[in-house]
Amino acid sequence: MPLVNFSNVNFDQIKQSLKDYLKANSNFTDYDFEGSNLSTIIDALAYNTYITSYNANMVSNEVFLDSATLRENVVSLARNIGYVPRSRKSAVANISFSVDASNTSAVALTLKAGIVAISNKQVNGTSYVFSIIDDITVPVESSGVAFFNNVNIYEGTYVTQNWTVSSRNPNQKYYLTNSGIDTSRLKVVVRESQQSTVSRTYSQFNSLVGVTPTSTIYYLQEAPGERYELLFGDNVFGAKLQEPNYVTASYLTCNGPDANGIGAFTYAGRLIDNEGTVVTRGISLLATNSASQGGTSIESMDSIRKYSPQIYASQNRAVTAADYEAVVPQVYPEAESVSAFGGEELDPPAYGKVFISIKPYNGVYLSSDIKRNLQAELRKYSVAGIITEIIDLKYLYIESDSRVYYNSNLASSAAAVKAIVNQNIINYADSSQLNKFGARFKYSKFQNVIDNSHEAVTSNITNIVMRRDMAAALNQFAEYEICFGNRFHIKNHGHSSVYNGTIIGYNIKSSGFKVSGISETVYFGDSPNMDQKTGTIFLFKLRSPTEPVIVKRGIGTIDYVKGEIKLNPIKILSTTLTKGQPVIEISVTPYSNDVIGLQDLYLQLDTSKSIVNVVLDGIDSGDDVSGSNYIVSSSYSNGSLVRGPIVVETTQSTSTGTSAVTTSVSVSGGSQTTTTSTSGGTTY
Amino acid sequence: MPIQPAQRTGQGFIDISASFQINPLNDDLIALKNESAIARALKNLVLTVPGEKPFQPDVGSNVSALLFENFDKLTADSIQSEIEYTINQFEPRVELNKVTVEADFDNYEFNCTVEYYIVGIDAPQQQLTFALEPNR
Repeated sequence: MPLVNFSNVNFDQIKQSLKDYLKANSNFTDYDFEGSNLSTIIDALAYNTYITSYNANMVSNEVFLDSATLRENVVSLARNIGYVPRSRKSAVANISFSVDASNTSAVALTLKAGIVAISNKQVNGTSYVFSIIDDITVPVESSGVAFFNNVNIYEGTYVTQNWTVSSRNPNQKYYLTNSGIDTSRLKVVVRESQQSTVSRTYSQFNSLVGVTPTSTIYYLQEAPGERYELLFGDNVFGAKLQEPNYVTASYLTCNGPDANGIGAFTYAGRLIDNEGTVVTRGISLLATNSASQGGTSIESMDSIRKYSPQIYASQNRAVTAADYEAVVPQVYPEAESVSAFGGEELDPPAYGKVFISIKPYNGVYLSSDIKRNLQAELRKYSVAGIITEIIDLKYLYIESDSRVYYNSNLASSAAAVKAIVNQNIINYADSSQLNKFGARFKYSKFQNVIDNSHEAVTSNITNIVMRRDMAAALNQFAEYEICFGNRFHIKNHGHSSVYNGTIIGYNIKSSGFKVSGISETVYFGDSPNMDQKTGTIFLFKLRSPTEPVIVKRGIGTIDYVKGEIKLNPIKILSTTLTKGQPVIEISVTPYSNDVIGLQDLYLQLDTSKSIVNVVLDGIDSGDDVSGSNYIVSSSYSNGSLVRGPIVVETTQSTSTGTSAVTTSVSVSGGSQTTTTSTSGGTTY
Repeated sequence: MPIQPAQRTGQGFIDISASFQINPLNDDLIALKNESAIARALKNLVLTVPGEKPFQPDVGSNVSALLFENFDKLTADSIQSEIEYTINQFEPRVELNKVTVEADFDNYEFNCTVEYYIVGIDAPQQQLTFALEPNR
């Protein structure tokens, strides 16, 4: 019998195949007994085969970008297709301060490159240093005060490294020896010699277009240990260095995202006046214009694997929607996830436009300034005549309600199990399975995360609801369209909310709000049509938490199959919930527990609204082996009729006059309006 | 034609000799058979330190460690039970009869005698004797 399985990396299986071989081809019989000499020889042979298989497996894995696990190999493979992974990026803060130089004869003051400020308080046990990379000179005004206004300071230590080019060393390397470098702040200057006073600044190579034999460019590549190496031209693509050129590289070594959010600084810089005298007096406190932000980590291996082929495919040009998705993280590294689609996909189509949604690492939405800058940057890549429009994210939240059964013999306490499950849910919520466009919430995986949280967990019953937050345009008539992108589950087929004595509620659940013409707080409810595919939306108020009273019908439609709610023009006066802006939360049970983030919907597991309850599993714990007192948990969502604070009417009278809501309304019919424009049409 | 029952003939126990010497009669490696193969296996098992065999951390006995304990009757008893456990656990071809371990204080060694029957072949009770001494 031949040995056929060469790729096996399981020692026992290799050993077994050797035994099988001996069984068929040898007179020796003692291979099965651990004490025999033959067993020892088989062990040695199997171990050798195992090591060889393991090495072959590792080597072949490291050859391909998809399977390489060592960063230096991933980087090296990406380098083959011209991709330089993004470096760590330092956080930027903006400060202003003044210097009283009235007692001196100085006419100008210079803030020297290097350290400028230190964070006042320790963040995560560390004080952070903020620097500038170029000298800043300001005049001393007639009042004798010099103002340093709106100075951008970058977190990190300013480092300078020098090399003298030597022709005796043909393999001379220019390694930046520190790790954690922000390469976007790298400055490379070359002088003829160390003594020369004439210097030329070299710029980083981006594209071969326009590169000549005399171009002063340098190439950058990542070296092992998250360090970087500078490469220079060869008199064909860029100027070649000659002996005794003197190369100076200045850069920041930073801490990336750890230094985000620092808003108080102490001066620690170096000021000199126009005569070269160091100024140490009259320096005001540092006023913070904006706290530090924008610090990011070095590009992860996952990201390199994802983006390097895309960047190669896009060839630094944004033509297709996928090109934009590849280019945006390059020009805006703080993008956690990007979704782009052409205007022709819209209904009605908007030709000549590309719509881009970006989820930044820090925060939820992009500021207008960043959007403007980003649009300007993207012009360098996009096809002439195409307009890029950066639209705000539309979040689709998932809320989970888990009842986790546990075996009390294996857990120290119920609270301990709950804490671990909660932590694992948070970890799952932060994972790359969600938090991206086109993500899918995988129900079975999620249940698995809970089951594997602790050995005491025996099972879990988890209910899922989807939620969208509808930002209400107060005191104006507006029509709304709320897309969930997932089919709705219909549990109430058109009955009242209390059916056969049981509160079944409606299919949608909303937080409270007030509308023009109705004095009480109202909520959304729905009633399916006969086809059970579409339905109508109505408003109801609560006489008590379990007693709804419908106050107005026909205020909108619901499409259960498409997962879409459309509201006719409605004038909302106030909402019970505010999240930076007045919002109405609308939740619904999905038809499938696997929820997808359709098109531009950004899927997030809302851990703050997710509930974990631990329940003693009496059967597995041995307290109730017959299951007589087993605590049953429903696999179907139930509970309150509404979301958020429950507001019941204070008087028994129901309001009338709601007809005003739908009259004298002038809104655009474009239900696909993608921004909250003044037209009143709002799509969520 | 009636089907004949499969003829099954036991080959006995054949192991390879660790000396790796050549048998001059057939130019093959010397083989250890039956009693000698099993005696060798028992000794191997007793002298194997747990963890020595790859991916089988339980195989072997702790006799090597016990040899460096106090040289007394108590240690001899421990060695005896360790040998009994190891053979019962890892050598299914023998039925253990008796293990005797005596401390030889003069020579600073333990004299071990293992008496056993071989399962599956027609052989009288076997006796394996060996000495264990600490050797750094």
